[in-house]
Amino acid sequence: MSYNYIELISLVLLAIGCFFILSGSLGLIKLPDVFSRIHAAGLIDTLGSGFIVLALIVYSGFSLLSLKLLLIPLFLIFTSPVTGHAIALFAHESGYKPKGKNKK
Amino acid sequence: MAKLNKDSLKTLSYITYFIILFVFWFILSGYLKSLLLFFGLVSVLFVFWMSYRAKALEEDSLPLKIILRLPFYWIWLFKEIFKSGITTTALIWNGKYSPQLISVKASQKNRTGIANYANAITLTPGTVTIEVDKKTFLVHALSKKLSEDLQTDDMNKVITDLDK
Repeated sequence: MSYNYIELISLVLLAIGCFFILSGSLGLIKLPDVFSRIHAAGLIDTLGSGFIVLALIVYSGFSLLSLKLLLIPLFLIFTSPVTGHAIALFAHESGYKPKGKNKK
Repeated sequence: MAKLNKDSLKTLSYITYFIILFVFWFILSGYLKSLLLFFGLVSVLFVFWMSYRAKALEEDSLPLKIILRLPFYWIWLFKEIFKSGITTTALIWNGKYSPQLISVKASQKNRTGIANYANAITLTPGTVTIEVDKKTFLVHALSKKLSEDLQTDDMNKVITDLDK
């Protein structure tokens, strides 16, 4: 009985993660310029992957494996801002101007 | 903790680094046989020696003081990420975004703190650090609310306090 309970929790967490990844992908297409699209990519990196890893930890039970899984978001915390910053800096230096939707 | 002179602090940070490396090796491998543990020890010592040679063990890059506060900081950071993530998701779906550039002042004292703050800004969805000039960041925010949240300076204070 408790097994089903755990499965249900991980299913809900997976659904939340998938929703964030879907919104991030939508944002990648929808948003107007490079800088705004980085935000969408950051959403996938942090919340999307975070919730999916959380769901996998709940599903697999707490063991050495879940510690290994915890290392994934730990590394993402350090690497994903660096890539986002690198893209933004390069776009800025090569002269892209961020544009607003309702420009005055 | 009693007052420590510079050398003993250095030794302490070496020991901490060694323990972190070994725990990391153990989490990734999961072996408990003594022969394999010995091989793990050898590889950890090799990595330790390489980091020592690369001068990656200076006080600035391995701040001992904040290691104990780090888990609490991560929990707080996750809460912030979640909050602004929800805001960003809502902005993407309803299309009411108005991207803007703002400049943010950082009050951290050392380089690790400043890098930490810039990383935290980029990590929260909806704000990206574009350029780091000594103590001011050029930040791109997706909406007015997100930029105002940043300008309340809460994140800056938490990260400055981390290094006290």
